[in-house]
Amino acid sequence: MDSLFDDLKRMNKRQFLYQVLSFGMIVSSALMIWKGLMVVTGSESPIVVVLSGSMEPAFHRGDLLFLTNYDQDPIRVGEIVVFKVEGRDIPIVHRVLKLHERENGTVKFLTKGDNNSVDDRGLYAPGQLWLTKKDIVGRARGLLPYVGMVTIYMNEYPKVKYMLLAGLAGYVLIHRE
Amino acid sequence: MSSKGKDKDEKLDEKTQVNKWDGSAVKNALDDAVRDVLVKKLNYMENFRLVDGRLWICSIAVGIAMLALLWDFLYPFPVSRPILLLCVSVYFVMMGILTLYTSYLEKGIFAVAVQQDPAGIDPEVMWEASSSMKRFDDIYSLTLVSKKGKNGSPKSATFEKSVANFFDTEGNLLQDLLEPEVLRLHSNIQSGKKEK
Repeated sequence: MDSLFDDLKRMNKRQFLYQVLSFGMIVSSALMIWKGLMVVTGSESPIVVVLSGSMEPAFHRGDLLFLTNYDQDPIRVGEIVVFKVEGRDIPIVHRVLKLHERENGTVKFLTKGDNNSVDDRGLYAPGQLWLTKKDIVGRARGLLPYVGMVTIYMNEYPKVKYMLLAGLAGYVLIHRE
Repeated sequence: MSSKGKDKDEKLDEKTQVNKWDGSAVKNALDDAVRDVLVKKLNYMENFRLVDGRLWICSIAVGIAMLALLWDFLYPFPVSRPILLLCVSVYFVMMGILTLYTSYLEKGIFAVAVQQDPAGIDPEVMWEASSSMKRFDDIYSLTLVSKKGKNGSPKSATFEKSVANFFDTEGNLLQDLLEPEVLRLHSNIQSGKKEK
């Protein structure tokens, strides 16, 4: 194990600073790609993982979904949207069942999971009967099956996630060029 | 495959031991040793301008990313869109600048040192050491370039030798074998290659 730190011990201040900056740049690149996707798609969460089986057989738990949220693309009945209920962080992927629209453009949605027997009113905030545009994270546009299982496992076993991240960070910081 | 048992015995200040099969560790060790020759043995002053430039570009890039993160945190998404767009674009531009900088300006130069004339009469001479080693190859190529003053024409000398010449079987860098090679390049430039 000692030999792992040899490179580190031999570094002078500038080389060490460069190691730290290299790590910073990897993190920053990932961050910038994510923010870039947010800007391009217009959605605050352009990639989501399907967490439950409520949309089977269309989507399964662990599928990765790509979303867009363009104002020019109005959401219509029958389309699959991802929304967040106020106060809860979990994104829910369901289909639009009913829609009310006013002339000034404000819209109200009612959603239901394909595999559920009732509509989502039980999931909305107490007293809320309809979803509004600001609850919608985006419309589903693309799918990658199974890939999201990694995220689900890592959230179920957070220790694995932290160990993996710590390991990666350690490797980048210690290994020179 | 460096011998782990002997590590404790060899924890002297100057001993450098690397995994002899790790190409980049070997090159870095050699580069460091050459830098030591320039700075410690020949007593030249190290000039950090080149490295500092790269550090600044990286720092600015990371700073921009942190700014984007902070702004988006304070003013959640749809509001922050224009700033995010700006930060992302600037970030990728900085990445481009960094790539250009490392490829064209730095070009394998790992040490820059300045030789000052003790009498103060001659202009100072700038020495640049650059090296290259191809992947999975064992030939280390070191180039020393010297430039007299601001307008002097650069004089350079190179040697290409297998790294086996400088390391023993344990992976220890033998400074005594590297130093004369470097000093030979150095004196070649100083004396041999005068304009005739």
